[in-house]
Amino acid sequence: MIAPVLWKRFRRSRLATFALYYVGFMALIAALAPLFPLDPNAIDLHHRLQSPDRAHVLGTDDLGRDILARMMHGARVSLTVGFLATLISVIVGSFLGAIAGYYGRVADWIVSRLIEVVLCFPFLFLVLGIVALFRPSLITIMIALGLTSWTNEARYVRGEFLRIRDMEFAQAARASGARDARIIFRHLLPNAIAPVIVSASFGVAWAILVESALSFLGLGVPLPTASWGSMLSDAKNTIDYAWWLVLFPGLAIFTTVAAFNVIGERFRDALDPRSD
Amino acid sequence: MGAYLVRRFLYAILTFFGITVATFTLIHSVPGDPISFYIGNANRATIPKATLEAIRHEYHLDEPLPAQYLYWLRGAVTFDFGRSVLDRRPVTERILEKLPNTFQLNAIAFALAALLGIPIGLWSATRSGRPAERASAVFFFLLYSLPSFWVALLLMQLFAVKLGILPLFGMTSDNYLDLSTAEQLADRLRHLVLPVLTLMYAQLAIFVRFSKSALTEVIRQDFITTARAKGAREVKVLWHHALRNALIPLITLLGLTIPYLISGSVIVEQIFQWDGAGLLYYDAILSRDYPTVMALTVVTALFTLFASVVADVLYAFADPRVRLGEAAQ
Repeated sequence: MIAPVLWKRFRRSRLATFALYYVGFMALIAALAPLFPLDPNAIDLHHRLQSPDRAHVLGTDDLGRDILARMMHGARVSLTVGFLATLISVIVGSFLGAIAGYYGRVADWIVSRLIEVVLCFPFLFLVLGIVALFRPSLITIMIALGLTSWTNEARYVRGEFLRIRDMEFAQAARASGARDARIIFRHLLPNAIAPVIVSASFGVAWAILVESALSFLGLGVPLPTASWGSMLSDAKNTIDYAWWLVLFPGLAIFTTVAAFNVIGERFRDALDPRSD
Repeated sequence: MGAYLVRRFLYAILTFFGITVATFTLIHSVPGDPISFYIGNANRATIPKATLEAIRHEYHLDEPLPAQYLYWLRGAVTFDFGRSVLDRRPVTERILEKLPNTFQLNAIAFALAALLGIPIGLWSATRSGRPAERASAVFFFLLYSLPSFWVALLLMQLFAVKLGILPLFGMTSDNYLDLSTAEQLADRLRHLVLPVLTLMYAQLAIFVRFSKSALTEVIRQDFITTARAKGAREVKVLWHHALRNALIPLITLLGLTIPYLISGSVIVEQIFQWDGAGLLYYDAILSRDYPTVMALTVVTALFTLFASVVADVLYAFADPRVRLGEAAQ
């Protein structure tokens, strides 16, 4: 397996290793959010719009809700959407890419036309339309994202399949009488999955960005569930003085997205035989 | 070359049908009675049954879905997308009056991103690995991860609230009509700055990255080594030999970045209350104005399709390998 080598090469970049730890830290925060003593949805009109102090480390919003508590719960939304939406697009993309690459001809032609069609739609239009018209919820968002962002995975897997489908190990499997499904999923797919790691890392970053954009536009996870995007949307109304409402949720989105992008970038370099 | 172009156009027509089928299927799989496409949010109970039946018949809702699709497609190919459920005006008319505003924003953002991004990218490629280049690489990489709506809020906070030198949102000031022509122009420009900046920076990062890798790719090739070996000066090697070849792949960016720009305009227009097609789409979604939603989805996808066809054709003209390679097959 290539995994240990890949990991060793990955760790050569200190920035990427740090990004990985940062993502782990975020996941921990998301997991532990319910243990935080302050309720993210507790309204306290006596303490509204308080700048960061000892009682509310990151301040409170216009309804007196604790920003830190809301951000911790927002991490749950962002990471859940990020990972599950990417999982959907990896599954859909790998499947279609595998079929196209393995069978070629008609199957390849159909999948290629499908990719062309999907790529024509401005991404946000499609996702926004699906989410809004089918009622916004965590599930709708993940499905909308997953079904519209599989094209990269499909292209990579298709390319890998074209490269390896006639290699000796595949021929050996075929000669020993293995059925197509077994050859595709047991023999070929594990060897074609490496580039998918790269696009999946970028995919998580992308999904987090789009989810927060949807929530910002009021079409994300339904209120009052805290999400980084909807927190920024709330901040719009008090933009003239409540700087902490703008700064912290935005920083959370930015750093998390950047971390996943750094990780994806590093995976790409680590998998590229031309680099170091 | 001819065969290549013909094939590209045939595929484009096919893709167009794919786009319409996808849009139609998507909208018609939304739960609910499709009659709401035509009566909007009006209360169904207040409308006489006979009227509802008449509407159903008029809009072919009593026919099977494939037939409905063909009726809609017949309208779509002539850019007749029916009427908006909000004000009963033709959807095409509503879109056409908003498109110039969106086009203005996008064209300026695209041009600025290209004019700044390509030189920076080329510079990075020639200075690869030096401290200044590495710093700029990190900077543009981070730029790429910044959520645009956050950037918009920060820009608003700094330039509109703190410094008070630029307007918070809108396309013109309230007193726009009282201003002289020169002042009107200045007023419009001032309103353009923040939306354009918000729309542009991600494109800028893409242009820098793309042009850098394009030039790096070219510099690695044998004919550059040959040019250097025969004693050409480095400046001449870069300008004369490398640059023209490095610019060719940039053509593909035309097709690649358009959908991102259009997507971005929904967010930017919503934040800055810019009266364009992105805001129209957002409002149409919220008010479930299905004819407008379908029309804008198809029209924006068509723009992308058109841009990618133009990009492919330009590419074929610029790169003989594409057209000759096709001819040899």
